[in-house]
Amino acid sequence: MADSVSNDLSNSVTNSPKPLMYLEDVWKSFGSLEVLKGVSFAFPEGKTTAIVGPSGTGKSVLLKHLVGLLEPDRGKVMVFGTDMAQASEREKFAVRRRMGMLFQDGALFDSMTVGENIEFPLVHHQKELSRDQRRARVAEVLEQVELPGLEDRPTSALSGGQRKRVGLARAIVTRPEVILFDEPNSGLDPITSDAIDALISSMQARLGITFIVISHDIVGTVNVADYIGMLYGGSLIEYGPTEDVLRSENDIVRRFLHRNLELPHETGAGARLPGLERWRDK
Amino acid sequence: MSAVRRWLFSLGRFALFCGDFLKAAIRQPPPPGATMAEAYRIGIRSMPILLIISAFVGTNLSLQGYYAFKPLGGQSLVGMFVALAGVRELAPIIAASMIAAKAGTEMASQIAVMRIQQQIDALEVMAVNPHWYLITPRLLGIVLVMPALTTIAMYVMVAAAYVVGVYQLGLNGAEFLEFAVQAADTRDLFYGGLKAMIFGVIICMVSCYNGFYSGHGARGVGTATNTAVVTAAVTCVVLNYFISEMVYG
Repeated sequence: MADSVSNDLSNSVTNSPKPLMYLEDVWKSFGSLEVLKGVSFAFPEGKTTAIVGPSGTGKSVLLKHLVGLLEPDRGKVMVFGTDMAQASEREKFAVRRRMGMLFQDGALFDSMTVGENIEFPLVHHQKELSRDQRRARVAEVLEQVELPGLEDRPTSALSGGQRKRVGLARAIVTRPEVILFDEPNSGLDPITSDAIDALISSMQARLGITFIVISHDIVGTVNVADYIGMLYGGSLIEYGPTEDVLRSENDIVRRFLHRNLELPHETGAGARLPGLERWRDK
Repeated sequence: MSAVRRWLFSLGRFALFCGDFLKAAIRQPPPPGATMAEAYRIGIRSMPILLIISAFVGTNLSLQGYYAFKPLGGQSLVGMFVALAGVRELAPIIAASMIAAKAGTEMASQIAVMRIQQQIDALEVMAVNPHWYLITPRLLGIVLVMPALTTIAMYVMVAAAYVVGVYQLGLNGAEFLEFAVQAADTRDLFYGGLKAMIFGVIICMVSCYNGFYSGHGARGVGTATNTAVVTAAVTCVVLNYFISEMVYG
């Protein structure tokens, strides 16, 4: 059942508008544990695509394939025209220079200040910039993530939400073409979580680049995503524009949404959630 | 997986790890400033403990040499005994063990924490080779300071042995030094420095490897650190025998 759904989806996802990055029939196992089972997925350019699903369904594994941290057992992972499964280290690095990523806990370097963390990719990849230019760029992105003047603060003095913002500042400082978010709401209280969602939405609107968000927080996802794909048991069971996914007839999708969005289980289409209204207004 | 297969797997993975590092290190110069910072950190931070241990190994060499040679009437040979055992063998081993315990554990635990906090993944995603960024400065730093630390350990050992031998045991100071200088010459200093560099490479690569492949959580970091120091120290001691056999045999 899941396989046939996955095959039907394969065509629809790879035929989505302008796929900047896509996965084609990707399989991945760790020992006897099959994590991804023939996943095909396309990410439209200039849009926010969210990959949702319960914990342990392979969302983070899928994200790691996109940045080349993992290689599939079989299948294609195409990013900017490069197959990450076949690419050399040098080719992978060339692809990664065009991307930014926000890790779950920010993955900030403890030995550096906030400013040094954000400056780090500039030091390594934009050597033509002077120190003053780099500092100006750091100040600019800190302003964008609403943490102005925090350059000299040690990362150990940051709260969870601030770590995410600094991580986001570091991800956007090189002006990448794609930004990936690995569970941007994990470990945050609802208010901070909402603030991060709002920041992601406003950044996407301002930068107009491709955002890929991995999350099990469906409420936040609905607020930020143009497209949603749902992974379940290592397979892609639903994919489409957010509005369509919210009206999905798939029972698993409906149960997932019902629990998270308080949508009526029977219809799969809801109107009770403020986040959903916000998305519709958008 | 049986223990032998696990060991072979680790050995193969370690070889690949060293290969990846060599490829990365050859392609670009080390991160600017980082090598001297590491050399300073390894050298200066390890110095106090190395001085203390070397001094007290020297005092004990003097004591044991004295009590061993006295019944034979050969207590004047204590200087020679200290120079042969201390300069040729114990100083490189003591320096390597102390650096493994101090700098090696620091390397393994730092890199292990970076692994579990996804900082190594972040380096890769930012297109910065973690082998190059994390290992090159540490390796160059340790190779720079190890010969210096070992030479210091040699002198401190002999000096402490001299103090105990002359001022506590009543040996003739001039005789002590004459026999010591006869037994250990500049060739021994050179081989000691060479051993130290080899041990430095082993300590750094073993520690960084264990950090890179650390397990999850506090237990993973603890195991990585523990395995790093034990493996590095044992490898250095075993290798010391073969180097000595080649050089002095």
